[in-house]
Amino acid sequence: MDISTQTEVSGGKRIASAIAFLFFGVAVVGAVGFTLHKVSADPQAKMYASVNGTINYNGQNLKHAYITEGVYPDSVASKSHGPNGGSHPGWPSYGPATHLVLPAHAYVTMTLHVYDSGEHLNTNYFAKVVGTVENTATFDGVAAASILPTDVQHTFTLHGLPTQTQDPLFVNVPLPRVVADDKGNNIPTKDPGTNNQGHTVVFSFVTGGAGEYVWNCEYPCGDGTYAKFGAVMGAGGFMSGKVSVVNG
Amino acid sequence: MANHDDHAVEALPPTPGERATGFIKRNDVARTIGLFVAYTAIFIILGKYFYPKWMPTIMSKEMKSAETIMIWFTYISAPIAGIVLSVATNSFLNAHRGDTPPPDGPAIRTNGPIVVLWTVGSLLFTIVAIVWGLLEVNSQAVAAANDAKSAITVEVTGSQWLWTFNYPAQGIETHDLNLPVGVPVIFDVKSADVNHSFWPVQLGIKVDANAQVTTVIHTTPTMVGAIEVKCAELCGLYHAYMETNGAVMSKTDFNAWVTAQGGHTA
Amino acid sequence: MSTLDKAPASARPVPNPKRSLITRLHMGTGVVVGVIFALAAYYGLHSLYTTYTDKVADPLSSHDNNIVLLGAMLSWSVGFMVGIGAFIGPWRWLIGKDLTDEEILYLAGDGQGTKRYFKYCTDHKVVGIQYLVGVMTMLGVGGTMAMMIRTNLARPGAHFVTPVVYNSLVGLHGITMIIAMIIVATGPFGNYIMPIMIGAYDMAFPRLNALSWWVLFTAIPVLCSAWFLGGIPTGWTAYAPLSTQAGPGMNSFIATIIIFAVSTAVAGMNITTTVVAMRTKGMKWNRVPIFVIGATISVALAIPAFPTFMLAMVQTGLDRTFNTGFFDANMGGSGWLYANLFWIMGHPEVYVILIPGVAALMEIAPVFVRKPLFSYNAAILGFAGIAGLSVLVWAHHMYLAGWAPSLNGPFMVTTEMISIPTGLLFLVLIGTIWRGKPWLKLPMLSVFAFIWDFLIGGITGIYLSDVPADNYLHGSMFVTAHFHFTLMGAALTGAIGGLAYWYPKMTGRMLNERAGYISFWLVQIGFNVLFFGMFMAGAEGQPRRVIDYAAFYKNSNLVSTIGAYSVGIGMIVLLWAVIHSWNKGKVAPMNPWGAKTLEWTVPYPVPLTNFDELPIITSDPYGYGKGK
Repeated sequence: MDISTQTEVSGGKRIASAIAFLFFGVAVVGAVGFTLHKVSADPQAKMYASVNGTINYNGQNLKHAYITEGVYPDSVASKSHGPNGGSHPGWPSYGPATHLVLPAHAYVTMTLHVYDSGEHLNTNYFAKVVGTVENTATFDGVAAASILPTDVQHTFTLHGLPTQTQDPLFVNVPLPRVVADDKGNNIPTKDPGTNNQGHTVVFSFVTGGAGEYVWNCEYPCGDGTYAKFGAVMGAGGFMSGKVSVVNG
Repeated sequence: MANHDDHAVEALPPTPGERATGFIKRNDVARTIGLFVAYTAIFIILGKYFYPKWMPTIMSKEMKSAETIMIWFTYISAPIAGIVLSVATNSFLNAHRGDTPPPDGPAIRTNGPIVVLWTVGSLLFTIVAIVWGLLEVNSQAVAAANDAKSAITVEVTGSQWLWTFNYPAQGIETHDLNLPVGVPVIFDVKSADVNHSFWPVQLGIKVDANAQVTTVIHTTPTMVGAIEVKCAELCGLYHAYMETNGAVMSKTDFNAWVTAQGGHTA
Repeated sequence: MSTLDKAPASARPVPNPKRSLITRLHMGTGVVVGVIFALAAYYGLHSLYTTYTDKVADPLSSHDNNIVLLGAMLSWSVGFMVGIGAFIGPWRWLIGKDLTDEEILYLAGDGQGTKRYFKYCTDHKVVGIQYLVGVMTMLGVGGTMAMMIRTNLARPGAHFVTPVVYNSLVGLHGITMIIAMIIVATGPFGNYIMPIMIGAYDMAFPRLNALSWWVLFTAIPVLCSAWFLGGIPTGWTAYAPLSTQAGPGMNSFIATIIIFAVSTAVAGMNITTTVVAMRTKGMKWNRVPIFVIGATISVALAIPAFPTFMLAMVQTGLDRTFNTGFFDANMGGSGWLYANLFWIMGHPEVYVILIPGVAALMEIAPVFVRKPLFSYNAAILGFAGIAGLSVLVWAHHMYLAGWAPSLNGPFMVTTEMISIPTGLLFLVLIGTIWRGKPWLKLPMLSVFAFIWDFLIGGITGIYLSDVPADNYLHGSMFVTAHFHFTLMGAALTGAIGGLAYWYPKMTGRMLNERAGYISFWLVQIGFNVLFFGMFMAGAEGQPRRVIDYAAFYKNSNLVSTIGAYSVGIGMIVLLWAVIHSWNKGKVAPMNPWGAKTLEWTVPYPVPLTNFDELPIITSDPYGYGKGK
């Protein structure tokens, strides 16, 4: 800090130093951005719906797409967060992926194998089946328009931003919980990898044009927090994810 | 308002006519007055064209009143902005450059009449804004009270991260918000979890959704068209996606929609 | 400071308080002891927790045992202060062996060169530089987060980061910038310049001065730890019950606010006492430089404001750790209670930020137009009026909370009334530059920028204060644009003007002018483009704090992002200028601007006690101009 040590710096040197510093600064900010992007990028693989044939729906011939997901009581079983369940092996999760990719203008049949237990919804509306073909889903082979709000384990709720540039898409399907008694009786689904036993829920909905949507679970499963919507519910990628509807 | 404020600062000392004329003829004063006119005009144009261009379709009286306030408050601010910016620009154009300080300017310590005029001017401006706002708030409250009997009620529930709407009289529950045109509507808003803010954008109203308490807002949709319902209070992970479609429809269409949802029409 | 030797530094014996602990303590020992305290608290509380509850949750990822993390973070702060020697003075006084004169001189950093910047140094000039570096660091961190936010919003679809990261960016950008902006003028200039300006040897309580800085310093790692604990989902407002729901990262936020409130309270008391009690002979209240008045009113406003925030955060912490339910409606509490406590701090707080920035520009304007400050009394009335009204307006943030709709009218009245004192501030500035020939140096440019930015911020504020317009605008990007125009456009612009103005006194060198101009225009033009786009997005109906938006808003958001990058580059250029000029800038004369305030009468480096002999004041420092 001693003034007497001042050295004259030539103009050229000064400009070079300023430009170097500018690049350095931009590089630092860029590196932070790149790291954040990498760290926070969707860690899961995408789950693609497979198209198999066409189906006649309301007089239109639509591609028939199929997609299957599981809902697991822990992340080890869901396999969507690495081999050992990732940073929170105890958290419930959808699997094997939480970013769903669906074809546009298609009749999508979704099968959910659900293995978790449950209690009561915060908002009973989500015990209704909404937005599917005929507003019903089949629960272990039985079609129904809703289940009891006290029998829910999770929900699959798909929604998006209202906008002129993409078609609205809203689907809500409640998933029935697995209770201890069920296990001895007629639980139709058994997960081959984990021996989890559960229910199978099948429903279909029709996609519009290409667009970006999200889905999340409306069942309060983030334990220990206010309204049970913290922890796993607030973390993203466990009980929530993206839905991309794509052309072609 | 414009003329008043114009005189408030430009006609500096309240002295006999020839001093005033001489003052106005001074170069810097003339330039400032020119700038004042230009800036005031710019702000009036900004107010007149920008907000109507940007803001979405106006579908209720409340939305209209929000837009009117933004436009008119810009108008009445325009002369004040004009004074401030014209003086600043005039001075900026007189700038002194170089490495030595400029010569000293006139030692004006203060100017009593100007300070008083300025304060009175801003007081008047404030009174206009306050009275306008209070009258508008009052008329909205009166309308809400008068409409209470003829209104339909919609119970709005915010859940992380979706809105649901219950129409008790019609006996239906939905995730999108449809309303009949010309019928007053009262929203009873609550939350199933954290705070949200219920914002049907084109209707120009908004209220927080809180757990355990019901907040109430009122409006009357005035035209048919699509509306968007958004959440205006940060509510966690998917706050951005807590939006849903809605529509204001003719009474016939509304009744048909209610019936299709399995509800009953009055 | 009466014990200090008034002789020049060279003539004084170098203090050598052997055997004294204070010579061996510095930032490093503070960190070590702080970490030890934190670890002890962490493991101690954790084992207590697992002993007395049946839970075995991991504090780093679970919500259940917040007490462990909160305890560790607060212990870190206390431990650091122990380790750096903050408690030695009080302790020695308590046991009846007060510090010797030699030791006091040592604490003041006498003859210790650069090392004193890393010590518990009581010299107000050292504290000022520490604040300056701290503020610039915080602005850099907060600005980087702003770039991340704008990058994500450059196009619709949220392709850049996930919602968890985005929400954390929004919240941590907010709180980092709020803290930085609160101290941006009062920290560096209030500490370094202000005591010289009023003709004092030092601050009233030099040890508290060091305490305020180092306590604030301990908040920085605590706030950063939020990133490694899952972030915060609440924004800087930390509304309950969302804050109750939040993960472990929220503890970092709570601890930061508690620590920060201590720092502000200490600094506020110190600055207020200094100005009230230590003005030099002849400096009557009507001769005090306007910056000193502004800074004092600002910190005096902060003294009652921040404890409220601290209280709200303690309650949030209790809600989270012991389920006290202050803010939980399901347990008989109320989220509105939190909102009230928060905004009772929050609205005075924006003026705590604004006033010193404006006051700095009022100090600058007369010097550069060579005219007296126009209507000194109106300036004081303006500041005092704003300060007085600002504690009565808080519920305008809650017009639409549903809390008390019938109070909207009264709060609208008080809020609108703030236009009157604010108008006086404009009058003072335009009155000062009227008929002057402004010397267009960087500080003066900031005055012009302030006038434009604050005018836009003010006019848009008038819409927002009117309930029927707020019905539409509340919670939208319009609000975000409005408060950035006031806080960044006005207060930060003022602080940058102040930096350019006082830089020669603080570093002994001139700030590189060309880089200053380039930075100024990049920042100001970029800033206006950025928030013009945001006004547009808000008027179109885009809510605040959203990671994603419909394609409809893409143009306005793109405009904003382009502006933001320009601001970012401009800020990097400014940072270069500050760093480069500090070492290699043109050596500054004692009074480069020809100003009349006292700080320009002392040489650089400023002597330890500022003045050999305290000056006697016979007039205010605005005696410029000819005639009259």
